Amino acid sequence: MIDARHHRQRILAEVGAAGQQRLGRASVAIVGLGGLGSPVALYLAAAGVGRLGLIDDQQVELSNLNRQILFEDCDVGRPKVEAAAGRLLILDSALRLDARKESVRASNVEAIVAEYDLVVDGTDSFETKFLLNDAAVLLRKPLVHGAVLRWGGQATTVLPDGPCLRCLFRDPPDPADIETCEEAGIIGAATGVVGSVQAEEALKVILNVGTPLRGRIFRHDGLRGETRITTFPRDPDCPVCSPVARITDLSRYDEQVSPRGRVLT
Amino acid sequence: MVSPSFSSEQRQRYARHLALAEIGPAGQQRLMRSRVLIVGIGALGSPAALYLAAAGVGTLGLADHDRVRLSNLQRQVIHTMEGLDHSKVDGAARTVSGLNPDVSVETFAETVDSRNAMELLRRFDVIVDGTDSFRARYLLSDAAYLLRKPLVHGSIFRIEGQVTVFIPGRGCYRCLYPEPPPPGVIEESEQVGVLAALPGIIGTIQAAETIKLITGVGDGLVNRVLLHDTMAMTFHEVRYQRNRACPVCGDRPTVHELVDDAAKGLEVAR
Repeated sequence: MIDARHHRQRILAEVGAAGQQRLGRASVAIVGLGGLGSPVALYLAAAGVGRLGLIDDQQVELSNLNRQILFEDCDVGRPKVEAAAGRLLILDSALRLDARKESVRASNVEAIVAEYDLVVDGTDSFETKFLLNDAAVLLRKPLVHGAVLRWGGQATTVLPDGPCLRCLFRDPPDPADIETCEEAGIIGAATGVVGSVQAEEALKVILNVGTPLRGRIFRHDGLRGETRITTFPRDPDCPVCSPVARITDLSRYDEQVSPRGRVLT
Repeated sequence: MVSPSFSSEQRQRYARHLALAEIGPAGQQRLMRSRVLIVGIGALGSPAALYLAAAGVGTLGLADHDRVRLSNLQRQVIHTMEGLDHSKVDGAARTVSGLNPDVSVETFAETVDSRNAMELLRRFDVIVDGTDSFRARYLLSDAAYLLRKPLVHGSIFRIEGQVTVFIPGRGCYRCLYPEPPPPGVIEESEQVGVLAALPGIIGTIQAAETIKLITGVGDGLVNRVLLHDTMAMTFHEVRYQRNRACPVCGDRPTVHELVDDAAKGLEVAR
């Protein structure tokens, strides 16, 4: 059967019939269905990624709708995973979706990450971002990291041999130094730019084409209209992706990493 | 202090904007009073319309003559299978209203051409170009300049995209590209491939630039075009100036109204 739906992508030299099949056989875990998860889920579903894990324990709130374009007004109060699955299925009813109403913690991260080919981080907590980074490195799964605040954000791609998020930032920032989206505010379009970059990265990694943001960090400032990509090296003393790693075992994670995501020595 | 002119629902919906120093209650009121026209509700128009609706733009004009086809759904995320074979503007209007019922939607299910462009664009504050042909890009640029309206330009081709803002008097699409490509040059079409998420980046930046124009904050992508290559994952900025010899916005303009130029297959201003 001719796949009319993905015709425009299949005729790209970088994709082709084999690439499109590869997307169809791929599975991606989208952790966090908020400002970042919304465009990631829409574009990966549209692109024809065969199976999506939708992982979020929250319900849709009215204050989400300035940026979380996956949801509708009438979804307020519904679990995000349920509303998201409904929205994605009217885009493509052939998608395989795992709606997992749970948060990612040290105790379940392995079960989630191990089950998918690639993980996209759409969470809004630094502890979870570092947990996903550590799990992805230890389980040798590609991770597409993203974070947003106010008018901008950042993205990078962690491949199994690093560099990883802990090469760039050893530990999560001190909670006292963190401003949340609730306090600082956020523009929907900032999440759309970073989330779309994450979706592009996920597609490239699955297709094994192009140059992913490995060892490079994309930083976008929508207010200034500035977009910069800078490189960062692998840290030879990285606590998770170097030969001298101290984070070595997800089953002993709470002995190796503090609840705030800091490496314990 | 939050202005009492917001309903309690609006205070929740726009809480993240009210908390932003650059938007706040005054900026949100400006967004809610603004009128934005998006021409082309395809790959670029989809994210632009979704994010402008989410931001609470008062009136969103959606113009597109086409119907939703299955091959659109690979990247045009405002459309759904329910909308297949129906008009794009109707499907997009439904999605927009579901996301934010506060937004008033005006639909135009016709081709924007030299006969109707002035009348249509005149009614809006900002124009977003989500079209996919050189013909339409020159037409919108000419019409927007003649009406002295800002135009947020975006375009994609295969794995590359670009975005810039044309402010009347500071350069237009003809200043950036003085001549249309010769006939036969490949345009965005069913024969050209495109990666799903690329238009998401360009269309979303178009939405962000529109929000900045309406609220008057930040540095717009004016006199600079942002070029993106998705495979290399690079972004480059190229500066350009108003062309003093531009036939439309130059020092001695020779064109003052839109007319069809059948010889070139283009609609140009004369």
